[in-house]
Amino acid sequence: MANYGMALDYKNCINCKACEVACKEENGVLLGADKHRIWVGANDVKGEWPLLDIASAAFLPSQCQHCEEAPCQEVCPTNATYYNEHGVVLVDAEKCILCSYCMNACPYDARYVDDRTMTVDKCTFCTDTRLARGETTTACQNTCPTKVRTFGDLDDYDSEISELLRTREHFSLKENLGTKPKLFYLT
Amino acid sequence: MAQTVEQVEETGVVAKVREFISTIPYNKIGIKDLINYEKTPLNNLLAVLIVAFLAMFVIGVASYLTHGHHAYNITREHPWGLLIAVYIFFVVSSTGLCIVGSLGDVFGFKDYELISKRAIFGSIVTILAGFAVIAFEIGHPVTMLIYNVLTPGLTSAIWWMGTLYGLYLTFMIIEFIFLLKHDMKKAKIFGLTGLLVGLAAHSNLGSVFGFLNARPISNGVYYPTYFILTAFITGIFIAYIMMGFRYKMNWPEPVKVMLTNLAKIQGLLISILIFFVSWKMLTDVYGGMPNRSEVAVHIFHSWTFWAEVILAMLIPLFIILKDMGRNINGMFWASLSGMVGIFFMRYNLVHDTQLKPLQMMKIREYQLSPEWIHYFPSSTEIMISLGGLGVCLLLYYIGSKFFNLDADEQH
Amino acid sequence: MQVEVSRRRFLQGSVALSVIGGTSLSVTNLLGGHESQDEKGETAVTTKTGTGEATEVATLCEMCVNKCAAIARVENGVVTKLNPNPLFPKSKNMLCPRGNAGIQALYDPDRLKYPMIRVGEKGEGKFKRVSWEEAYDAILNGTDKFPGMGKILEEEKDNRSSFLFCAGEGMAEHTFKTFYSAFGSSNWLNHASLCLQTVISGYGVTIGGYAAADLENAEYIIMAGANRAEAIVTPDTMDGFKRTKGRGAKLICIDPRFTNTAAKADKWLAINPGTDLAFVLALTYVVLTEELYDKAYVAENFNGFDEYSKSVIENKYTPEWAEKITGIKAKDIYKIAREFMAHAPKAVYYPGRRSTFSNNDFQLRRAMAIFQGLSGGIDTKGGLVFGKKLKLGKHEGLEPIYARAESRAIEKEKHPEKGHSGYSDCAVVSGGGSWIAWRNRFLEGHMPYKVRGMFIYKHNPMMNMPNREKTAEMMKKMELVVSIDTMPSDTVMYADVVLPECTYLERTDPVKTFGGAEPSIAQRNKVLDPMFETKPVIEIMKGLTEKISKPLFEITKKYDDDVKEELADLGEGEEKKTPEQKAVEIYAEFDLTKPFEHSQEEINRHMVESVYGEEAVKTLQEHGVFYPNMDKFFKPLSVNEHQYYPEKEKAYRVNGGKPKTPSGKIECNLPNMAKKGIDPMPIWKEEYNFSVPDGKFRMLTGRHAQFTQSGTANNAMLRDLIFENYAWINRRVAEEKGIKFGDELEISSRTGKTVIKAYPTEKVGPKTIFFVHGFGEESEALTWAYKNGGNDNAVIEDVTEPVYGAASMHETNVEIRKV
Ligand SMILES: Nc1nc2c(c(=O)[nH]1)N[C@H]1C(S)=C(S)[C@@H](COP(=O)(O)OP(=O)(O)OC[C@H]3O[C@@H](n4cnc5c(=O)[nH]c(N)nc54)[C@H](O)[C@@H]3O)O[C@H]1N2
Ligand SMILES: Nc1nc2c(c(=O)[nH]1)N[C@H]1C(S)=C(S)[C@@H](COP(=O)(O)OP(=O)(O)OC[C@H]3O[C@@H](n4cnc5c(=O)[nH]c(N)nc54)[C@H](O)[C@@H]3O)O[C@H]1N2
Ligand code: SF4
Ligand code: SF4
Ligand code: SF4
Ligand code: SF4
Ligand code: SF4
Ligand SMILES: [Mo]
Repeated sequence: MANYGMALDYKNCINCKACEVACKEENGVLLGADKHRIWVGANDVKGEWPLLDIASAAFLPSQCQHCEEAPCQEVCPTNATYYNEHGVVLVDAEKCILCSYCMNACPYDARYVDDRTMTVDKCTFCTDTRLARGETTTACQNTCPTKVRTFGDLDDYDSEISELLRTREHFSLKENLGTKPKLFYLT
Repeated sequence: MAQTVEQVEETGVVAKVREFISTIPYNKIGIKDLINYEKTPLNNLLAVLIVAFLAMFVIGVASYLTHGHHAYNITREHPWGLLIAVYIFFVVSSTGLCIVGSLGDVFGFKDYELISKRAIFGSIVTILAGFAVIAFEIGHPVTMLIYNVLTPGLTSAIWWMGTLYGLYLTFMIIEFIFLLKHDMKKAKIFGLTGLLVGLAAHSNLGSVFGFLNARPISNGVYYPTYFILTAFITGIFIAYIMMGFRYKMNWPEPVKVMLTNLAKIQGLLISILIFFVSWKMLTDVYGGMPNRSEVAVHIFHSWTFWAEVILAMLIPLFIILKDMGRNINGMFWASLSGMVGIFFMRYNLVHDTQLKPLQMMKIREYQLSPEWIHYFPSSTEIMISLGGLGVCLLLYYIGSKFFNLDADEQH
Repeated sequence: MQVEVSRRRFLQGSVALSVIGGTSLSVTNLLGGHESQDEKGETAVTTKTGTGEATEVATLCEMCVNKCAAIARVENGVVTKLNPNPLFPKSKNMLCPRGNAGIQALYDPDRLKYPMIRVGEKGEGKFKRVSWEEAYDAILNGTDKFPGMGKILEEEKDNRSSFLFCAGEGMAEHTFKTFYSAFGSSNWLNHASLCLQTVISGYGVTIGGYAAADLENAEYIIMAGANRAEAIVTPDTMDGFKRTKGRGAKLICIDPRFTNTAAKADKWLAINPGTDLAFVLALTYVVLTEELYDKAYVAENFNGFDEYSKSVIENKYTPEWAEKITGIKAKDIYKIAREFMAHAPKAVYYPGRRSTFSNNDFQLRRAMAIFQGLSGGIDTKGGLVFGKKLKLGKHEGLEPIYARAESRAIEKEKHPEKGHSGYSDCAVVSGGGSWIAWRNRFLEGHMPYKVRGMFIYKHNPMMNMPNREKTAEMMKKMELVVSIDTMPSDTVMYADVVLPECTYLERTDPVKTFGGAEPSIAQRNKVLDPMFETKPVIEIMKGLTEKISKPLFEITKKYDDDVKEELADLGEGEEKKTPEQKAVEIYAEFDLTKPFEHSQEEINRHMVESVYGEEAVKTLQEHGVFYPNMDKFFKPLSVNEHQYYPEKEKAYRVNGGKPKTPSGKIECNLPNMAKKGIDPMPIWKEEYNFSVPDGKFRMLTGRHAQFTQSGTANNAMLRDLIFENYAWINRRVAEEKGIKFGDELEISSRTGKTVIKAYPTEKVGPKTIFFVHGFGEESEALTWAYKNGGNDNAVIEDVTEPVYGAASMHETNVEIRKV
């Protein structure tokens, strides 16, 4: 069984949001500012024009972290949120009662409500679309102009992502919470 | 004639249950009696309010049924809104009444027996109102009933809370029946179990927040314990209000004695609560923990926090301390103030937990950086909430007509 | 697979053009307090891809100029996804947000669906649906509302130039241009004078070509006046940002605004708008005085070096001098000049694309090209690269000569000075002409003859040319306007006849060759059959020419003395023909239908097969991309990287590292230019100092990564990312003026005004205002684009630079007022 994760060479990111659009088109995500599985965060640049702090304007692409210790899964009363055999955190719309507990519990704000099913949805690592067809990249990775993302099997020593994580320094978001995210930011 | 035929056919458990139910004492009244009440201005007002609230409930629910969650002002960043707060408000009331009710019939403090039945009935009514509200907040209540059983999420505080409250309601009903039937022994057994389950459910409700690792302002042991404390306080407030209405402020002596005692307990509890809240705020603000201290400061500056403190803590405490709990009329009004304060307490709990965005970056070109999450309930949410209150009052009114909620004269 | 309601609804039927618009407030909005972002209607139009049967078609994106290679996934006749096609070296396996959102252009409910003719007043947007035949007929014969082509040509005695043809950039622009050539007008205008005229020409005359910047290998990049993180140009955008931030390529961004490129740069310097020339001259000064340039290269490859060197040094274009003009610290200029040369020849002064920011732009681009030359980084890896272009076979057009057709409508000087070119619009008239000068002259009645009709293809001058008011007047004055578009744009609203083209996903377009260090040929293949009654432009041209060719020839026969003569000359003896035979023979030269006889597929096949054989044709149909040895050369290197050519096969030094000018040298000094009144060498002039009076702001315009000019404003998906544009205003200035985020501002200039929301930010200086171009359309038929923010060209004044008459977009001062 694979153990999927994603490495992000986030310094490449130009905040174009191709990933967001590709994700929506691939996965039939509803339009609407709040309905997205993937986003790029930016801060207001610090300083006063023309002396601005470039580093403060970094772009941070993000999405569900597919936590190994996922708070969203722990709090789900009906086990609608579950880990699949590849360590991907998914929501079974059948079982979701829309208590929204997971939305409050996810430290990464990775979940939203799909208005069609009125259940919680999030990044699936394209499990039911691309991976189901046997493809090996996610929509967001594939389309990215500056190739920020590398998706792959963390348990496979020879996978590109494993190689990247062995050879490059990286960090994860909110590591202190012990969620063990599987999104790795390369520095 | 027909009855005997049925009786013949029914066997075993069913028959026993039927028989059991048929022995529950209640007042045989008709619709006419139901709508017949003493026409005082206050009662008239209450009647109008109940009808209005119920009408709102219907409109609110209709709006929810047509527009779903879009009729609410909840958002991705603030998924829990007023209905959750109101649900908590009701279930805390229920637990509180259960505690008050247990003083007499579970713990055997004689003074308090005269409120037991009424309090236990109140606890049933309030939790039903809570359920009536939450049913329209949970997106798929029916799915919940199914998968709560089929695939229980045992690590989920919500699962435990929901399941325990379900059990609790059952025990409360049974206890109430035994109280009605004056079977004090059985009432005591079910009362004790119900109380324990209720307390468990209740602290689990606190833990729903306490478990939120992502929300440092709520995370930890504070809420599970604080919930029990505030439940007791709430129970006493409601006891005053129920008794005030029951006796139209003409307090018989035993009631006076009981209420004075309750006021003293209340004084102690509120003092502890103030102590709790002060330390929580102090450690939050000065603890300097990121995502906690600035949230606490923000809370400190919000009027709803002060509404909670003044209405639920300072005013009642002042009244209690002024006359050592003997100003029962004053306490009645202080309890009304207290309940409004308690409402804010619940609202604040829910809102404050979600105040701080989990994602502090801009994700759209033209937007302001996320600062605090704003929320104000939509009219639908307000209507359903008031509707919940309407349901609660109506059930209580009906109950008070059907059952004798006063303590039985002799044992 | 789920198909959303609105898409199904859309697929089923059509939305009447004139009834769209208007905002409905739903009950939800009243009950729920949400600020509903979808007031204008349902936009749930995404379709989840399925796991079942699907076809995949290799095509090319046309959401902007880049033409990235895409693979369309089609399920049950619905395009469910556009994926990048890894085979194309130019787009390197990517689709930008707009490329991904191409599906929404295909399924845009507001699309033009059938031919229409105007029934209301001009500009009112009232049209009647007609058949293609009726539309063609209206073009030829007119209606009671407008005259037909026949009447106009008759009255103008077959002066074919009484029709203007204009086109935006596009793969099928060529097809339309073929029609223009056959028709015989000499009035052609395209986007160049609104876009990249000065940079193309500046580099053209100086180093012999608008070379590509090799950002993949450069070690030092100065990107001034280009915003590759947001204004996406392939492959620069992909190559440019993978090694910045201390990872091998140092990027210096020079921009008055803090753009996303600035955010990705190693250094960002805010420059006073329009002063880049002073900056480059000062860089040059440092390089010359400190003798940092590549002496051997200069000695061998420069013309006029000494004169230029003397000019720069004697004029004292010191960094200290430049600091006062540009606002960039002298010490930064010294440092950049030195660093640039230290990295030479793997250093690039990025040429840019949309170029005419100010009146000195042509000279700026010349100075940039020369500066690049000083580093020796020309035609080299890591510098500027000319690259190679793969040949394609020819497709024959038709270029008849009409005796009565006047030459280009350009105003001649009344009393041209000796040596002057004699035009008053500008010094040089390029192929694309000067749009603004042409329009203004037309309005002011300074035309050498009457121009009465116009054909517009894939172009939206109403939105894209400074001084919108004047464009509207021009459109009203033009007696017959035919617009070929996919959307009911602002320009379409002024048309008399609207011909709906299908979108790029519904047609095969002319096969195209893409040059560079890794050249290739790519082809857009049709993904779906055209929806509704739309057609590809080639079929529109076919239908139109079949209708008009003969009747127009009758007019020619009447007025064209050459034709009359030829018809009369039946020849002698053996060669003698009957008048009928002769008529057929002559008509053949004027038969407008001829270039459109073959389908696009046939034409492409011919163009490819004749050079590369049958296999290449197949490859293009199946894979969309072809280059010799692709099967051997192309290799995935990782999931994200691909090899297109092995290193040694890349076309880096095709010209031996030399410039490509006719002289083979970099031209510092152009005495011929002086004859036309243009400075022969780049110098700074007093008149270039642009002042911004107190209380006013200089207006800047530009791109955003999620929009293409005016063309994507109605795209549901993209609009979801940005609802409307906002005016960038310095945060402190805004504070002083009591302007908060989202406050409505009225921005006005001598030209006009527009209303837009405020975005106070430190990303822009206190004397500038910026907003993204392409918003605020006024066509009510565009449900979502209608008045979605501020329209920059309503306020930008129609200033042109003197050399090519290109639009100087940033020479406007505006006032702002809170409304
Ligand atoms: N103020 C200001 N003005 C500018 C600019 C600026 O930055 N600021 N930028 C300038 C630049 S660089 C340029 S290149 C120009 C661009 O100006 P235009 O060439 O006008 O380009 P677009 O705005 O993309 O408009 C293209 C039109 O073609 C239509 N269209 C799209 N696809 C098709 C198709 O397949 N077939 C047909 N027939 N029509 C189609 C669209 O609906 C739209 O109406 O604008 C210039 N104007
Ligand atoms: N996403 C997207 N990509 C596009 C397009 C699009 O519409 N959308 N359009 C395509 C087309 S047609 C073109 S022409 C290109 C345009 O590509 P660019 O020319 O790179 O883009 P612009 O945003 O028009 O202008 C570039 C920058 O110049 C800055 N600037 C303005 N005045 C000055 C000045 O005086 N000095 C300096 N140094 N900088 C100045 C502006 O702030 C802006 O950031 O983009 C192409 N790519
Ligand atoms: S597609 Fe790539 S570069 Fe663009 S926003 Fe997403 S991660 Fe960043
Ligand atoms: S990021 Fe959030 S939604 Fe995703 S697995 Fe972790 S907790 Fe769950
Ligand atoms: S909203 Fe759905 S997925 Fe989330 S915790 Fe509740 S039941 Fe589980
Ligand atoms: S992995 Fe797939 S589902 Fe997740 S954000 Fe990327 S495209 Fe969307
Ligand atoms: S850059 Fe984007 S819009 Fe332009 S052709 Fe490429 S994918 Fe299409
Ligand atoms: Mo352009």
